[in-house]
Amino acid sequence: MSGENILEVRGLNKYFGPTHANRDITFTVRRGEIKGLIGENGSGKSTLISQIAGLYPWDSGEIVFNGEKYCPRSPIDANNCGISMVMQELGVIGSLPAGVNVFLGRTNQFTKNGVVSLKALNRAAEEVFEKWGLPKVPLNKLTDGMMIEARKIIELARALSVDPQLLLLDEITQSLSLNNRNKLYEIIRKLKEMGRSVIVITHDVEELIQITDTITVLRDGAVVGDVVSKETTPDEIKRMMVGRDISGAYYRADMTPAFGEKVVLSVRDLTVPGEFENLSYDLHEGEILGFCGLSDSGIHAVGKAVYGLARPSSGSVRLKVSETETVAIDRADTALRRNMAYVPKDRDSEALMLHASILENFNLPSLTDLEGKAGYLAPKKLKKRAADLVASMKVKCTDIFQTMDALSGGNKQKVNLGRWLAKEPKVLILDCPTRGVDVGVKAYIYALMKEAKKKGIAIILISDELTEVLGMADRLIVMKGGKVTARIRRDEDFTEQSVIGVMI
Amino acid sequence: MKKRNIGLQDVVPFAAFVIIFAFFEIASKGKMLSPFSLQMMLDQSVMTIVSGCGVLFVVAMGSIDLSVGVNLALSGVLAVWAANAAGGALLVPVALVTGLLVGLFNGVIVARFKVPSFMLSIAMLIGIRGIVNFIQTNIGTQFIPEATRVFAEGYIRYPLFFVIVAVMWYVLEYTRFGKYCKAIGENETMAKFVGVPVERVKVLAFALSGLMAGFAALFSVTSVGGTTQQMGVFFEMKVAMAIFLGGVLVTGGFSAKLYKVLLGSFSITIIVNGLALIGLSETQYSQSFQGLLLLIILGVTILASSRRRKVPSTLDEEEPDPVANESRGK
Amino acid sequence: MQTRQKNPVPVEEKRHSQLAFLLILVAAIVAAAVIFNFITGGRFLDGTNILVIISHIVWPSFVAWGLCFLFACGYTDLSIGAILVLGSFATCIFGNWYGYPGVILGGLVVGTLLVFINFNVFAYTKIPSWIAGISLAMIYEAVAVVLKVSDATADLIYAEMDKSLRVLGQVPWSILLLFAGLAAAYLLYNRTTIGLNIRALGGNKDVARALGINVNRTLLGVGLICGVFIGVAAIVQESVAGRTLVKTGLTSINMVFQPLAIVLLAQIMQKRLNVIIAVPICAVIIYAVFNLLTIMGVPSGTLQEAFLGAFLIAFGVVGQRGVKGVVK
Repeated sequence: MSGENILEVRGLNKYFGPTHANRDITFTVRRGEIKGLIGENGSGKSTLISQIAGLYPWDSGEIVFNGEKYCPRSPIDANNCGISMVMQELGVIGSLPAGVNVFLGRTNQFTKNGVVSLKALNRAAEEVFEKWGLPKVPLNKLTDGMMIEARKIIELARALSVDPQLLLLDEITQSLSLNNRNKLYEIIRKLKEMGRSVIVITHDVEELIQITDTITVLRDGAVVGDVVSKETTPDEIKRMMVGRDISGAYYRADMTPAFGEKVVLSVRDLTVPGEFENLSYDLHEGEILGFCGLSDSGIHAVGKAVYGLARPSSGSVRLKVSETETVAIDRADTALRRNMAYVPKDRDSEALMLHASILENFNLPSLTDLEGKAGYLAPKKLKKRAADLVASMKVKCTDIFQTMDALSGGNKQKVNLGRWLAKEPKVLILDCPTRGVDVGVKAYIYALMKEAKKKGIAIILISDELTEVLGMADRLIVMKGGKVTARIRRDEDFTEQSVIGVMI
Repeated sequence: MKKRNIGLQDVVPFAAFVIIFAFFEIASKGKMLSPFSLQMMLDQSVMTIVSGCGVLFVVAMGSIDLSVGVNLALSGVLAVWAANAAGGALLVPVALVTGLLVGLFNGVIVARFKVPSFMLSIAMLIGIRGIVNFIQTNIGTQFIPEATRVFAEGYIRYPLFFVIVAVMWYVLEYTRFGKYCKAIGENETMAKFVGVPVERVKVLAFALSGLMAGFAALFSVTSVGGTTQQMGVFFEMKVAMAIFLGGVLVTGGFSAKLYKVLLGSFSITIIVNGLALIGLSETQYSQSFQGLLLLIILGVTILASSRRRKVPSTLDEEEPDPVANESRGK
Repeated sequence: MQTRQKNPVPVEEKRHSQLAFLLILVAAIVAAAVIFNFITGGRFLDGTNILVIISHIVWPSFVAWGLCFLFACGYTDLSIGAILVLGSFATCIFGNWYGYPGVILGGLVVGTLLVFINFNVFAYTKIPSWIAGISLAMIYEAVAVVLKVSDATADLIYAEMDKSLRVLGQVPWSILLLFAGLAAAYLLYNRTTIGLNIRALGGNKDVARALGINVNRTLLGVGLICGVFIGVAAIVQESVAGRTLVKTGLTSINMVFQPLAIVLLAQIMQKRLNVIIAVPICAVIIYAVFNLLTIMGVPSGTLQEAFLGAFLIAFGVVGQRGVKGVVK
């Protein structure tokens, strides 16, 4: 009955080139329903919601909104129908003031004789903030100087100013503080009372169960489950997301921390302003030290700081280079020279030269080692090394001259990792090493980690995937808001329950 | 092992060169291929190529150095003045040191103070030209001392030229420094995260470019016999055109190869001389021709390289990077 | 930490601080003028000198405003000098032919058309704007030479534009024009949908598109707006000078430097003062400095250029303070 359902998606398909990003998606949202949408990275949830919001068209299938066929040609079309969205990536223009950002693209509403009345615009913006109980933001200030949270709130105001029948929220909660998250929940509740609907995407399974009426789970582009929130459990959701028992055999089998006694790296009272403060720990030979936390906990900055890529205001990072000597690591080129390795989280923008060949990518960190007399880099040597690495890492490619952008995510990650493993580094820093990678490659990477550990390589494993860290680490440091909230060893209460409490 | 794929962006400059050469050869009724004409063209290209080798390192990083013209002028003027004032032996060192210092200055401003390189180059273009003009209004044009005339001799010029080009080629293709320059052009963030000393490499690349401008100054003053009022004017554009006409991308990276400098230089020389041979020597023809050609080649190479990147992987059924697709919204 | 919430700041505060900054700036300029006057023994604030200063800042201000829009979209156009030359020629030719309508139409049409062409090249060929601008400058300079030597137009260009047609270059018309330009630029940049959309597109193209901003129409807008300002600049320049010299070998780029310096300086101040308002003020500052140098005997064409270059570098360095991320 169209009266009941505000949104009906039937058999929607979307392709990006050969990738089938959305497969035959079918689901409905009732009026006044809060629906949660969840899935692993790459499961197609952002894609789906972007199409509903009018960002790009779908390839086949249909959507019925409010009882009528829905075919938006642009986000403005969607707005006019009563659908608005807060995007996952940052969606404000820094060089424009906050008030303008709220009504950007619709400033014509406030023009008289071609001139936009900022007074009227700001007044309308203030009304939106007040109506929905949003925390105030200085409307005349350029959004450039504002915190991420303030910017997200502006985006939320923008979405609400359309007075939507259906509001789409793509991963907004992780940018909000606890206070504002509660305000958001209030807004969602208010919308529900008004008979409006909301689709919420978040990675936080518990939060999702708490605030939604129903949850749709996506996996590999298809809908694999549609459950009532009250009747499900986090485990059930996670199982549907991943499709198997997550305590899979590809993590470590043992539960004993096993590492050498020698301290390879020691960090004392390290503070990076805006990221974390007073961090101290020791890293041992053959140890896998895990760092876990939410995206704003500072864990990613820990990796950068250890490699000399951050600007600490105090504290030290010292690498042991001989029995008696330690060296301060305060610049990345020192770290490189001392045989440390850093595998960044964002492989496309931070780790790889996408338009260069596999050959060049594999060899770049090792050029100093490959130099011959008078700094000569023999092409034969370089080619052989790249070819050996392609073989040993089983990289699927046509040859070593192929450019990186033709490779799949998993193979790119193999290159990302392999170029460092080839050096047998003293310290290996991994930041989300299995992000955006399919199960087969995931298992392979874990196997590589186990092997490296056996060779005595000290590993720092930074990840926002709790199960991964719990599966692989000898010791775990949990961080929240830039501070250490727990240090747990593998043989003590190494479970999700004990960690989640201090992580979130 | 299969050879690297050769893309459209590498073929077009070659094709352009061949077409241009053929066109002018026919239009000038064969005068192009005369030994005299060929030698003249080689001579005209020497300075461009020498400086181009240096600028190539800067372009490889994705930056640009448009100060080489005025650098050449300043180095030349100061070197000749020093040689006349204190002895011919100073000619070479003063030219090279001046060139190097200007390059170092450029490098520090770009690397340390993050001023965009094209803006800095243009500021240098006008600022240093002002200084050079000032010096020349006070001391006029000068001749190089007799003793140094020996540098103009063929048996010194050509070997020196070949050695310089060979050394530059070696450094760009076969040393760590060259690879680092290219890596910075491909993805500077990545280079930083690997541990490449990016700031240091940038300064050195600009310094090298300046040094090569100093060499070019030497070639210039020795072949002409002294300094001129118009020294180095438009030279930087010639060098930049040589590099881009040869097919190097504006973003540099691994598209930066030394043979492209040679290719581009010869193309320009052929155009300028060819036009003269068929009677169209005035500026408006050669300049508009070069301007149009530059636009065309740049447009084509950029188009060709961006088309190559859009081809999705058809290797296996694995999805292309889901993470990359996710950040598509950027 | 990022998650802490910003304390709301009352709306009025920003406006007050902008006005205050403006007043302080003007006061500083007046003070500097008095000092300059003292140094030059009264020649600086002499009546004729002031007139000279005023008449020399109008066309650079217009160019600078045009550049503001271009910069807002992330483009830098170095062919503006060559376009100014052609625009000036057109003003002269049509002015001598048709009188005032010719003056106005000639400059405007040519200026707008050429900038518009440029803009299409930038937007659709993906060639980085700085080098596309250089190539275009070469072509336009060549066109200027052709105009100069070809029989049909040579006479019209060599002759000065008739004195009676040059009113727009004289006080008080040029000052009126300046204020009109200021008002128009301010409104366009800050208070029209097209201006806001242009800045949005330049800030983040994908976000702008997601908000429904029509990219093609906006780009059209930038090209046209910038073109009109350049056109007016050509008219004023020709009116002031009466004749225009042809430049080849990319010497036309010199004409862009002064406006470029103005825009850079204005952008440095942009946190305190709206960039459009800052433009004419910065124009005064920069020209006044060079005027001072000329009075003091520093030769133009040589050391003055050196100063200009040094200023550009200094402005660049200061303007880039605190910039993180990759800069090529």
